[in-house]
Amino acid sequence: MQVQEAIDAAVAEVGRVLLGKEPQIRLALCCLFARGHLLIEDLPGMGKTTLSHALADVLGLSWTRVQFTSDLLPADILGVSVYNRNDASFSFHPGPIFTQLLLADEINRTTPRTQSALLEAMAEGQVTVEGETRQLPEPFFVVATQNPVHQSGTYPLPESQLDRFLMRLELGYPHPQAEREMFQRQHSSSAGRGALRQMIDAQQLQRIREAVMQVHASDNILDYLQRLVAYTRNSPEFEVGLSPRGGLALLDCARTWAVMNSRGHIVPEDLQMVLPAVAGHRLIPSGDYSGDGAALVTLLQRNVDVIRP
Amino acid sequence: MKAEQQIPRNALVWIVISLFTLVLPHAARLPAWVLGVYGIAALWRVMVYRGRWSFPRWPVKLTLVLAAFAGVLLSFRSLIGLEPTVALLLIAFAFKLLELAERKDAYVLLFLGYFVILTEFLFSQDLLIVLLCLLNVILVTTALVALHRPGEDRFSMQPFSKASVMVLQAAPLMLVLFFLFPRIGPLWTVPIKSQQATTGMSEFMKPGDVSQLSRSGEVAFRVAFEGDIPPQSQLYWRGLVMSRLRQGTWSALNYYDVPASERRPQEPVTAGPAPLRYSIIMEPTQQRWLYSLRYARSNDPGILSAPDYRLVRPVVIEDDFLYRVSSWPDAALENTLSDWRRLTELALPQGSNPRARQLARSIAAGAETPADIVAGVLALFTEQPFVYTLQPPLLPEDNPMDAFLFDTRRGFCEHYASAFVIMMRAAGVPARVVAGYQGGEVNPVNRTVIVHQFDAHAWAEVWLEGRGWVRVDPTAAVSPERIELGLEQALASEGSFLADSPLSPLRYRRIDLINKLRLRYDALTYRWQSWVVGFNADTQMQLLQQWFGEFNARKFALLILGSWALVLIPVGLSLLVRRRTHEVRKLDRLYLKFCDKLEKMGVAREPGEAPAAYAARARRALPRLAAQITAITTLYQQLAYADTEQAALDKFAAAVRNLN
Repeated sequence: MQVQEAIDAAVAEVGRVLLGKEPQIRLALCCLFARGHLLIEDLPGMGKTTLSHALADVLGLSWTRVQFTSDLLPADILGVSVYNRNDASFSFHPGPIFTQLLLADEINRTTPRTQSALLEAMAEGQVTVEGETRQLPEPFFVVATQNPVHQSGTYPLPESQLDRFLMRLELGYPHPQAEREMFQRQHSSSAGRGALRQMIDAQQLQRIREAVMQVHASDNILDYLQRLVAYTRNSPEFEVGLSPRGGLALLDCARTWAVMNSRGHIVPEDLQMVLPAVAGHRLIPSGDYSGDGAALVTLLQRNVDVIRP
Repeated sequence: MKAEQQIPRNALVWIVISLFTLVLPHAARLPAWVLGVYGIAALWRVMVYRGRWSFPRWPVKLTLVLAAFAGVLLSFRSLIGLEPTVALLLIAFAFKLLELAERKDAYVLLFLGYFVILTEFLFSQDLLIVLLCLLNVILVTTALVALHRPGEDRFSMQPFSKASVMVLQAAPLMLVLFFLFPRIGPLWTVPIKSQQATTGMSEFMKPGDVSQLSRSGEVAFRVAFEGDIPPQSQLYWRGLVMSRLRQGTWSALNYYDVPASERRPQEPVTAGPAPLRYSIIMEPTQQRWLYSLRYARSNDPGILSAPDYRLVRPVVIEDDFLYRVSSWPDAALENTLSDWRRLTELALPQGSNPRARQLARSIAAGAETPADIVAGVLALFTEQPFVYTLQPPLLPEDNPMDAFLFDTRRGFCEHYASAFVIMMRAAGVPARVVAGYQGGEVNPVNRTVIVHQFDAHAWAEVWLEGRGWVRVDPTAAVSPERIELGLEQALASEGSFLADSPLSPLRYRRIDLINKLRLRYDALTYRWQSWVVGFNADTQMQLLQQWFGEFNARKFALLILGSWALVLIPVGLSLLVRRRTHEVRKLDRLYLKFCDKLEKMGVAREPGEAPAAYAARARRALPRLAAQITAITTLYQQLAYADTEQAALDKFAAAVRNLN
């Protein structure tokens, strides 16, 4: 399959700048193929920005980068109307959001007011400035990075806003071998970025999306998915269970993952592979449960059997 | 422990609920500490569930069992008999909760639960009890259903509705079994005689006894007449005929006290016109005699006629008992009195009650016929200031009837009957005491006569030349209301009616609604007793012959099998319709079998592990089987997830079978 090779090539291409992170790269691609927005959460200097740049490059998308700071205002992202003295009228100067891939760096360092300005754009693919609604380019992705919430000077994203991100990824420290290789190459991430080639064009992206639509989900799979969702809603460890939107997100990602593995149907592994990234940020542990979101996902995966009991 | 062997939280809740409702109908018969055991066992098990306490170890368990035996022995003074055995069973039932670790333990407990439900019927088959037991069956089934729903961690009513539907579905089968299944007599019996006190009349009568019964509102028996109901004053239900007076106590003659030639009743000369036909359902009495109007005959098997024109049964009445009777109230009984009979009915203890005898002789001296003597003694009761009361003063041990006739003059039916018969015998007229019930309440709902324990009564019979045994009720001379209107009216001023039963609905029958409900429920009970409890081998055979003509074993077997088929075929058809989902289940079962096989070889599937990941791990551990494992997993994935055609299922089954 032509698409399959293109995806593998894209993964390899990104892998050139982000060493030893193939699973995360695949998940990030999966998220974009499933038309979702991506949130990357990790400590500074782990390669968050590198990954997002690389993704934009291999997909051949136009991209802009906005560094979110505490004094950033909504108009700085969306754009402003400026008075034109020549023809005595206001003309709109579009902000950085009018792009195909918006890289929102350190999104949790800005105020809630600015964060929520992103909301409409992410959900509807359009922005409304001064009463006028303007369409964003197609496709439109937001790749946001954020520091772990407990770091100082952050405004944690509310649950409603977290829910708009299809996936949340953590990169983690690189494998020692990969790190060694990185040291040996002796180039910084910015030096390597320009060298990335586009691997997937708009036509291929369209074809991948069509393939995703046709992936078959059998009764067994839907049953498994429903049991997973039901478990999060009924178990005492969970404060809040998965919403119907969360369940749909799981199914969409599993479909995409199946296509990325050249299958026409979902198998339980597809669901399990995307489960931590899709469900991790939507699940909230209840007060008397000591683990975090990741521990919850592990618990969920262990306690809901693939085979119907 | 494997997940499928755990007891889900919801099932545990239902088990504990059904445990308590099971013990509920027994509660009144059990010592209070048994209920305490239930509470502690439930608490213990819940604490085990919450992880605070642990299951008891064997020394604790042994101590508990021994303590239970000792407790039962102390409370009942015996380990043998119905109540102690049932108490032991119930305690064991509660203790089993402390061994409830896995699903198989829950099976044992719940199946024992069905048995515990049955034990209730050894004590009572009352309609309300049956309804409660039905609820218990549903609750135990609910626990079974909940047991098969793993992962239900919140309390849910869903298993209850499911179980209700299941029990409802079983109803047709129950009806088939009830009507058709042969009622086989017991092949062996154990004496399970209840320790419960015998209710109703006793074989002995000493003036003062019946007043205990007068305080009880329980039902003695119910009567359904085929025609009109005779007036209250004619309803003298004869139970015991007491011909022997010893030490102030009247008693009936035993079978062997009667000479062999006199053991069958003489046929009455005039059997009168059309008889009264009626059927009686008696509450258990633990006695052998039956109640009937005079002169009674019954064609039911197992009912004998005694020489004093009563009906008796050779077997003690331990359950509700239904019998049909024909009565000729006007028939003359025993026209010729044998010498032995005359002597027996005239005998008086030497030297007792001299003043009463003296008085009787003086009345006899002034009378021309025995009928005049009867009239003379009755006139004595009417003319002198005798009072009918349920609270008479105590009579002395010596010559009690003298004291009654000449000093206290306060008493009730027993006193009057006893005094009357003594005076008759002293005057040379054969006479005897009859004990039974008088009157009864007519239930307007179904036209049955309800005879309560407080209708207990004693009267007299005297033998008159040419008329045979004639009923004389001296109480009627003293207190006509007692006979015409019933005990309640007779005691209206005294207030001693049902003095010991403050909660009996009878006390509140002035309140119209309560009375209506009481009578409706009584009518329902009658129907229940006559149709369900009274349905024995004979009525069954009768009914079947009525429906299906002449009956033989072959027809019987065909009928049973046919009706089972009638019930089971729809069930089978509905299963066929759901076959598709069934195939899916079969697929999962086969895959789990495959997992079991691998587990035996040392590669167990991790909780929640998906097939491909499991296969990869198994291939590494068992390289020998790598090809087979891959093939089976691929087949499973195609069948379960790609929904390719189901024909491959057989191939998959074969592959799993061949793996080893």
